[in-house]
Amino acid sequence: MKKLILVLFAISASIVAKAQETFPVNGTANKNHTIYAFINAKIVVDADEVIENGTMVIKDGVISLVGTKINIPQGSVIVDLKGKTIYPGLIDAYSSYGMPETKKSQGGGYPQTESNTKGAYGWNQAIKPETDALKIFTKDSKSAEELRKLGFGAVLTFQKDGIVRGSGTIVTLGELRENELIVTDKAAALYSFDKGTSSQDYPSSLMGCMALLRQTYLDASWYKSDKTKKEINISLEAFNALQALPQIFETNDKLNVLRADKIGDEFKTNYIIKGSGNEYQRLDEIKASNCKFILPINFPLAYDVEDAYDANYVSLAELKHWEIAPANLSAFEKYFISFAITTSDLKDKKDFWKNLRKAISYGLSEKQALRSLTSTPAEMLNIGDKLGKLKSGMIANFIITSGNLFDEKTIIYENWIQGNNFKITDYNTIDVRGNYDFSYGTSINHQLKIEGDLEKLKATMITDTVKTPVNIIVSGYSISISFSTKDTTGSIRLSGNINSQPMKFNGKGQTSDGTWIDWNASYKDAFVSTAKKDTIKKTTAKYGQVIYPFTAFGKGDDRTEFEKIVADIKTRYDAVLIKHVTVWTNEAEGILKNQDVYITEGRIVRIADDISAPKLAFAKVIDGTGKHLTAGIIDEHSHIALSSVNEGTQASSAEVRMGDVINSEDINIYRQLSGGVTTSQLLHGSANPIGGQSAIIKLRWGKSPEEMKFEKADGFIKFALGENVKQSNWGDINTVRFPQSRMGVEQVYYDAFTRAKEYDAKQKAFGGLSEKAKANIAPIRRDLELEAVAEILNKKRFITCHSYVQSEINMLMHVGDSMGFKVNTFTHILEGYKVADKMKAHGAGASSFSDWWAYKMEVKDAIPYNAAVLTKMGVTTAINSDDAEMGRRLNQEAAKSIKYGGLTEEEALKLVTLNPAKLLHIDNRVGSIKVGKDADVVLWSDNPLSIYAKVEKTIIDGQVYFDNEEDAKLRVDIQKERARIIQKMLDEKKGGAPTQRPVMKRRQLFECDTMQEDYLEIAE
Amino acid sequence: MRKPILFALLLITTITFAQKSVLIMNATAHIGNDSVIQNSIIGLKGGKIVLVADATTAKMDKAGYDEVIDATGKHVYPGIIAPNSTLGLTEIESVRATNDFRETGTTLPNVRSLIAYNTDSKIIPTVRSNGVLLAQITPRGGLVSGTSSVVVLDGWNWEDAAYKTDDGIHINWPTIQSRKFMDEDNIFPGPFEKNKDYIKQTELLKKLFADAKAYNETTQKEEANLRFEAMKGLFNGTQTLFIHSNTVKEMVEAINFTILNKISKVAIVGGKESWMITDLLKQNNISVVIARVHDLPTYPEDDIDLPYKLPYILHKAGILFCLNNEGDMEAMGARNLPFMAGTAAAYGLTKEQALKSITLNTAKILGIDKTTGSVEQGKDATIFISTGDALDMRSNNVERAFVKGNSIDLNDDQKALYEKYKTKYGIK
Repeated sequence: MKKLILVLFAISASIVAKAQETFPVNGTANKNHTIYAFINAKIVVDADEVIENGTMVIKDGVISLVGTKINIPQGSVIVDLKGKTIYPGLIDAYSSYGMPETKKSQGGGYPQTESNTKGAYGWNQAIKPETDALKIFTKDSKSAEELRKLGFGAVLTFQKDGIVRGSGTIVTLGELRENELIVTDKAAALYSFDKGTSSQDYPSSLMGCMALLRQTYLDASWYKSDKTKKEINISLEAFNALQALPQIFETNDKLNVLRADKIGDEFKTNYIIKGSGNEYQRLDEIKASNCKFILPINFPLAYDVEDAYDANYVSLAELKHWEIAPANLSAFEKYFISFAITTSDLKDKKDFWKNLRKAISYGLSEKQALRSLTSTPAEMLNIGDKLGKLKSGMIANFIITSGNLFDEKTIIYENWIQGNNFKITDYNTIDVRGNYDFSYGTSINHQLKIEGDLEKLKATMITDTVKTPVNIIVSGYSISISFSTKDTTGSIRLSGNINSQPMKFNGKGQTSDGTWIDWNASYKDAFVSTAKKDTIKKTTAKYGQVIYPFTAFGKGDDRTEFEKIVADIKTRYDAVLIKHVTVWTNEAEGILKNQDVYITEGRIVRIADDISAPKLAFAKVIDGTGKHLTAGIIDEHSHIALSSVNEGTQASSAEVRMGDVINSEDINIYRQLSGGVTTSQLLHGSANPIGGQSAIIKLRWGKSPEEMKFEKADGFIKFALGENVKQSNWGDINTVRFPQSRMGVEQVYYDAFTRAKEYDAKQKAFGGLSEKAKANIAPIRRDLELEAVAEILNKKRFITCHSYVQSEINMLMHVGDSMGFKVNTFTHILEGYKVADKMKAHGAGASSFSDWWAYKMEVKDAIPYNAAVLTKMGVTTAINSDDAEMGRRLNQEAAKSIKYGGLTEEEALKLVTLNPAKLLHIDNRVGSIKVGKDADVVLWSDNPLSIYAKVEKTIIDGQVYFDNEEDAKLRVDIQKERARIIQKMLDEKKGGAPTQRPVMKRRQLFECDTMQEDYLEIAE
Repeated sequence: MRKPILFALLLITTITFAQKSVLIMNATAHIGNDSVIQNSIIGLKGGKIVLVADATTAKMDKAGYDEVIDATGKHVYPGIIAPNSTLGLTEIESVRATNDFRETGTTLPNVRSLIAYNTDSKIIPTVRSNGVLLAQITPRGGLVSGTSSVVVLDGWNWEDAAYKTDDGIHINWPTIQSRKFMDEDNIFPGPFEKNKDYIKQTELLKKLFADAKAYNETTQKEEANLRFEAMKGLFNGTQTLFIHSNTVKEMVEAINFTILNKISKVAIVGGKESWMITDLLKQNNISVVIARVHDLPTYPEDDIDLPYKLPYILHKAGILFCLNNEGDMEAMGARNLPFMAGTAAAYGLTKEQALKSITLNTAKILGIDKTTGSVEQGKDATIFISTGDALDMRSNNVERAFVKGNSIDLNDDQKALYEKYKTKYGIK
């Protein structure tokens, strides 16, 4: 009740304090220009400057003076803050405070190719640059109070919906009219990879989101430069207007930070990244992004791991993330990355201080914490001159506390916003704690002991040795107590007043039978806290090391920055000497027995009968006696290591890039290394005739997505034919999107290549003009989709086409011949044997399965002899996986063509090494064991084509990425690390902490047919 | 109407030679029970194996046989058995009309796979030409999928092919955690969550078994119940209960369920996490039809070779186990069963133990080991000759195969297409 009155008082006070000029007044005018002077306070101006015993003067909602020797203006209301501290009000740079709720529009399940937003807007429903938080902001007293209690005084707020989310506005958390709460009307532009409420099909994938964002940047810039405007586009206009603002990008995973930064770099924008809390898992790359950050402080709950079987559902990554997540902020501080802290991801905002203190116990400095809540967000949002510090001329947003803001015992008394006081805890509450002589009615000689926190007093009546609990309420100068004793039935209720000098209570009360009695209590001695003096827990929390990648079989890296640089230089010159090994060269030499192979600087340097390790190189010698060495396996068709696979919402999605969505944390990378795979082509799925641009990676386990890419590889693109692209097996609802038959597929290609050809000609003509001439004509809009198709025509991009039956294979070769391009590779191509002669004539290669068939109609005539027939016909042929499981047994799949079709063992091995290298145009670097080529080699225990062969070592660039001996150690380490953290979680549960139930989380495996997937999967 | 005609045209009849007696000489005989005879003589007469001996010591009687095969340098194996298979119940996975392995309903013990088994499936010849000569044809789906039967992969019709009719009943033990179809953003697949119906589903099973047991114990049946009738064999020990389950908690519950219901013959099918409960399995004499060896581990933390070495772990624990191939493309993939055994051999088992896991062990679990599953005198002449090690795709090359003494045709549609195009191109 008391609080409510205070709040009501504050509201009424604030309204009169700053009435608006244009609004009519109901009643008499009540203008108020009171000056407040806060004296004797410890003033924390900002994280780096503290004024002891200082004075701060405010007037009309603005700080006018701050310092020690201040002449207090006449007529000031003086507030003595002796022993108290003033901090700048906190700022949350990421909130949806006062925004209307958004709802996903229901599409009814049918494909929706166009935007549902009516009006002169852009084409995609997820691009909403026209959203203006200023126009939809309404004050929300309940949420404001919640944040004020935590110490916040201002927030950036915006509509959290869409890939481009429009502009945000900065508002204070005061209770004035909205007109007066706005600090900056358009304060920031907001982006994400989440299409939000958009019901439009496109984009359905992460790489689709990225492509859409790129195209939007290009379209907006074209729109701006086109003076002849034939159309008005509200969205593009709004997008252009946003560009002058701070640009904030929301991410939900560390890898998405890198993805956002990549787009930023392309369009010369340095985003402020809203992080998700797992950035510490890739901090080197994140530091290199040069971005500033807004970081959440929601930490995962411990899992309930008491049941040993259930505990299996919790992955090592989840266990470790639980343990390390509170150290995310301190990791940023150590790396000198600028960041603000937000409450935005907290499920319960009340956890804010608890979690912040946890972060501090994990190494975050208090100074940095304060900076991240005040000056850093203010400067990020270009309001450093208005908020975030206590300096004259700035908005009077500040909080008054009992002491150090970050101490657990500290109380926030008042939160002043725009010069208006919001009381949180009344510091004028009389401290009644102590021991009293107490008597009531005729009952005398009792002791009354009052202790506990000021806001939560605890009292006990002691009579001889009997202790009776007492309810006590202190309100202003009134006190009321009630209790029941053994001797009486019902409660005795006493009310009275407090006389503070000396401390004494007296008054009247009623016993349970209704008799009125007198009572009094007088102060005897001081309250002594019996609670152990908190040996203030300044000990920093301990936690395990970060592993790269952040999943099982990742490896720790404790080295300092300097040590890393030294090690990098050293490993570049690492040398490996494999002795007495059988070498499958894949070259004219064939299989060489008892050879030595010398590797250094990532290359194969020498192959000879006997090499003694050069003295200067610290070669690691591996005994290869009885073992076999082959070139690393190359998987021409893979979908591992991807965060997303199909953008099948349009017949052509040539603009999407698999290179955007490489997932370095996929356990299948490690599993495939254990099967000897060193290079994989990561393909878009087969949901549409023109899929996305491929990525070729080396399986450099532990490295970042960018570091995994095969350097300077040619660009490829996925095409697809047949049942998947005509949606034959997608149910009766999917009969809308063109094409629905093989006839339509041909037309998709003719259309795409015809348009790309025209586009390319226009671009080339425009490129040929003088600058002066260019300025005088309308610019040509860059179209990323047509550009990718035009690259095929210009022989800068090459096709890998998913295909099965002979008619469609034939068709695409005809389209190619007539439009002037070649199909580089037909993949799957299970009826390739029927048109091997035509493929040979066209110059296409093949990448097939060994023995898959009968899983759908179009593979009815698939035969395991396919690879052998194609090989014998002179078509460059590979065996691919399209399957994370089979990807680690590709040597066995290749061996099947010895059985089916009688290839020689050397020919068979080439199906998964040299031939795919040729198909990917990387055979100058990999695919055979030859002096000068990359040292991507595999050491096998046996003939590599035998079912009994096991990989002992997989080497990429001369570095051992899989080693069966190390693997055995890692298995033990994983179990130890799990056990250690599980024990810690059990302790946490015993300590009463809330826990969450373990849930099974199997990662989805992608194959060609995989349509939609949860690319927004969070790491926790 | 056009499709059936098309199929009819493509149909290649199974050619069964008039049965001759055969003597196979000098082959390395892999008996199937861990033993090997390096230089063997094997006699087949009247559909049975009449002689298995060491050629260096045994007396030979070539004249008593219609055909003598010199198999020097070659290998003889017992016919491989594919348990828990949908062979003959499906032709083209994505074409609904060709699928006959799943019936609608929850508890369907009386649904029998045998009568839907299509001996003319185009897939079967491609499987047997790798040495797989028997299969347990098994229905899928529901809580109680139905009744399986064991067949030989040779025969004019399912009556011919039947080897052990209605050998077992298959139940899918419910999972404690189930996967939602879609997540809150309508994205497939959804997250795992607690299966709210778990208790209901297990109660349904418990009730069915209790009711069926009572029904089969009384002679005074008020009304016939086909479902209960179908389960009779489970209670009198003539049928095996196959419980499909991979996760440890569910397996533990399922095993207790079988103990309570006094079911004497029980096998776990799948058993990916069976390595955690080997003692329990052993104590209760429960065998495991191990999930596909060529699979990925369930959890990122699992040993990367866990599926490969699971057979060895169960072997060491003394549990009777065999291999199966359930999963994607299971019917056509049955031809890779020998190579899965090969992998098990690479990861701990000896080659002969690995062979046993697809022959004699399987026969034991299916209750057909008295007549098949090994190359032993008195058993059916269901064996094959490979020019090399049949467990390795590098050398598996089945030259001759016999089913109950009949020399079977090893051609298939795939070979025919191969020959056709080899001829077209003039390549070897």
